[in-house]
Amino acid sequence: MAEIVVGIATSHVPFMAAPRRAEVDEGQHARVIAGLGEARKLLEQARPDAIVIFSTDHFDRCFYDNLPPFLVGIGEEAEGPVTNLSGMPKVKLKIASALGRFIVSEGLDNGVDFALSQDLPLDHAEVVPLSFLTPGWEIPIVPIVVNAFAPPMPSLKRCWQVGGFVRETVERWPEKKRVAVIGTGGLSHWVGPPETGRINGEFDRWFLQCLVEGKAAEVIEKYKKAEDLEKIAGNGGQEVRDWLAVAAAMPAALKPRVLAYEPIAQWVTGTGVMAWV
Amino acid sequence: MSLYQVNKLLRDINLSAELAQRCRTAPEAVLPQYALTPEEQEAIKSWQVRKLYDMGANPFLLLVYSMATGKDMRAYVKAMNQLS
Repeated sequence: MAEIVVGIATSHVPFMAAPRRAEVDEGQHARVIAGLGEARKLLEQARPDAIVIFSTDHFDRCFYDNLPPFLVGIGEEAEGPVTNLSGMPKVKLKIASALGRFIVSEGLDNGVDFALSQDLPLDHAEVVPLSFLTPGWEIPIVPIVVNAFAPPMPSLKRCWQVGGFVRETVERWPEKKRVAVIGTGGLSHWVGPPETGRINGEFDRWFLQCLVEGKAAEVIEKYKKAEDLEKIAGNGGQEVRDWLAVAAAMPAALKPRVLAYEPIAQWVTGTGVMAWV
Repeated sequence: MSLYQVNKLLRDINLSAELAQRCRTAPEAVLPQYALTPEEQEAIKSWQVRKLYDMGANPFLLLVYSMATGKDMRAYVKAMNQLS
């Protein structure tokens, strides 16, 4: 049977992958990059054969003509990013399609109605974090795109359930493989509304602390409605869904810790990195 | 309400540099291709992002469409905070 060997959650703000602009505080920048470096080291030490990556979209793969709550990429390869916000060159990644198909079919048999794509491009939500975590692009991924960008969105509770389902499913996948789970997005940020540029460091630190202390239920209980989360963490803060999914996917033996958190005004994002090892 | 069409236009502009360019230089040729009300057409033509936001357009799409059509962040935030 397969096993989950490490978990990582990180922001995916495109500025992260670009050279540091002079106005970005050098210390903040260095601490985030160091956190990502530590996450990469932990990932390498865990020696995963495949990565399940919970991420979101930015209207470049999904739109209101076809908007699944959870979309799994099960093709052979994926290329991206579709839109080049960070100046990154396009990359091509292998999909761990056997695992992806297993997750989808087990889901459909057991009450988690995943949508699927055999031709899912990549978004900066996957490419930016992976450019730090697996810069050789050598580990195949199973992308699970969570609708954390276009209301109405799946509830935090549902994202937690789906993360837990992925853990159970990986653990009964009849292959002797080591699997990492990554979640990308957040933390608080407002992208587009009148509050654009605001960061809520107080929320971010509380959220991280809840995950460290195993109190995700408090977050889920407090923010049952997406509108309430949006008020406190912004429309970009809806991406904490991906962090909750990773937390739920972690076996009890893996313990969480925060590797970096910086509210970086010039990146308009509360930028965090966390790992479960 | 045809906000779907507004959001679709904003999204298409973000995904196509060519469409973004045409929307800047010849919006009268682009806008009729979408089922927009006269009010929506005017708001897009005159870059009234706050009005579009108040009408229900997606804020993320408003931002990326603005960037794609050559506006900068400072101008965007200022425009978004001018009540329509």
